[in-house]
Amino acid sequence: MENIIKTWFITGASKGLGLSLVKQLLAAGQNVAATSRHLAELVMAVGSTADNFLPIEVDLANEDSVGCAMHQTKKAFGSIDVVINNAGYGIGGSIEELTDQETRDSFDVNVFGTLNVIRMVMPYMRYQQSGHIINISSIAGFAPGVGWSVYAATKFAVEGLSTVLAEDVREFGVKVTVVAPGAFRTSFLTPDSLTIAKNRIEDYKVVGASLDRYLGYHGQQAGDPEKAATAIINVAYDENPPLHLLLGADAYDRAMAQLDKLEKEFRFNEELSKSMAYSA
Amino acid sequence: MNNQKVWFVTGASKGLGLSLVKQLLAKGYNVAATSRNVADLESAVGKSESFLPLAVNLTDEKSVNNAISQTISLFGKIDVVVNNAGYGMVGALEELSDTEARANFDVNVFGSLNVIRAVMPHLRGQQSGHIFNISSIGGFTGSYPGFGIYCATKFAVQGFTESLAAEAKSLGIKATIVSPGYFRTNFLAPDALSTPKNEIAAYKTVREVQDAHQNQIGGNQPGDPEKGVAAIITVAEADEAPMHLFLGQDAYDIAYQKMNDVKQDLETWKELTVNTGY
Repeated sequence: MENIIKTWFITGASKGLGLSLVKQLLAAGQNVAATSRHLAELVMAVGSTADNFLPIEVDLANEDSVGCAMHQTKKAFGSIDVVINNAGYGIGGSIEELTDQETRDSFDVNVFGTLNVIRMVMPYMRYQQSGHIINISSIAGFAPGVGWSVYAATKFAVEGLSTVLAEDVREFGVKVTVVAPGAFRTSFLTPDSLTIAKNRIEDYKVVGASLDRYLGYHGQQAGDPEKAATAIINVAYDENPPLHLLLGADAYDRAMAQLDKLEKEFRFNEELSKSMAYSA
Repeated sequence: MNNQKVWFVTGASKGLGLSLVKQLLAKGYNVAATSRNVADLESAVGKSESFLPLAVNLTDEKSVNNAISQTISLFGKIDVVVNNAGYGMVGALEELSDTEARANFDVNVFGSLNVIRAVMPHLRGQQSGHIFNISSIGGFTGSYPGFGIYCATKFAVQGFTESLAAEAKSLGIKATIVSPGYFRTNFLAPDALSTPKNEIAAYKTVREVQDAHQNQIGGNQPGDPEKGVAAIITVAEADEAPMHLFLGQDAYDIAYQKMNDVKQDLETWKELTVNTGY
């Protein structure tokens, strides 16, 4: 890692990829503000009392709570250079099985929480005329797996808003990267992280089978979160960071398969697609 | 005969929804159509025995369930669902408040999910059905500056429709994402396109894009809504339905561009991507 000291603001930092990021950055002497719903959990997980670590309890769905955290960060470190919207959780089940409430709860964190952070940090980044916003999506945000309908919807939304954001904030010198990890060996698939639809419907056998298969991967995922964290940090130091960054050979393969599938779909209706203009 | 199929179309008082309802009725289908305001719908479409106009608040599950029940009591079944209701929103992510962003998701995302949740028990029961979710080319590519929230809602539609197609296939139910480019509807009209209450002057690119859509693109869109609607009906009648239906030369070209951009990023950064395993 480079020696330039930046200030990092990382959400969902008490476990998983967020925690790995915080630990690596602190070890490298970076200034790190990290958020979690539970301050005590975060402080214990990180185990640092150093001056360059600012743990903050934040409810991401609450704009005021997010705004307050930004203010604290700016006050403590003088700038906010890199924001990593990492907080999020998986939600399994078909659309029909998941209630409106379960669906909205997931959007609250995975989408509206991220939007709150972007809305609150942009005034600082516009003032600095610099910054990098890194949104953690998932390969499911580009190539959905069976049984993860609402999760895919939230992560597709993150892909969409990130792509547009990149264009909208370029004039302020602010960069945007959306990261799509494949399967990494974190707590993502454990019961306290993952939500599964409470009302299961017998008919959705393919959904049930797919969810069982995914849950069986826990502890076996090929991806090393420490390497993912390092890759993300490297990208933040790159002069020309990518808009889309995939992490994991599995993510790469799924993305390529998705691109092939899309090309076939295009061709299937090419003539119809192109014949929409008013007749002369 | 196919013409006895029952269609359920949301957001039918104007735009693509209205064109769709009119073509369907002319072809002899039974059509239930929703709008927030039933009087608007009745005056736009006219009266017919094969037409059931319904006042529905799509963000209210009870209202949606009620509409599905009424349709089934009148016509006996539902064959094709078109989640067409939705509206555009322009503005930088920083400019649009949490309330404004959520309002767009309420209709474009949660409303469609409410319809799917309500209709699936019936489609599962009959082991057939086809759900069309009207997205946008902005739901496939985010190369529309200033449309961050709108694109996010439409990307979400892409994501859950792909999932729906996979989870419903074995139940005999199809799902198709329709991604239109620019069609000459009232989508960009002042009373349709939502703009931020608190504009921030520094976002010059966003203002230029907003101005271009309101004053140049609106009214001059290349796509003919009647052709777009006819394409949806054609696909609904086809034996093999695509999961993705792009409508318009612009949509087709931009979608290809996006695929190439993604491929390029993937290849440029492949080394970093694939070296993250244990």
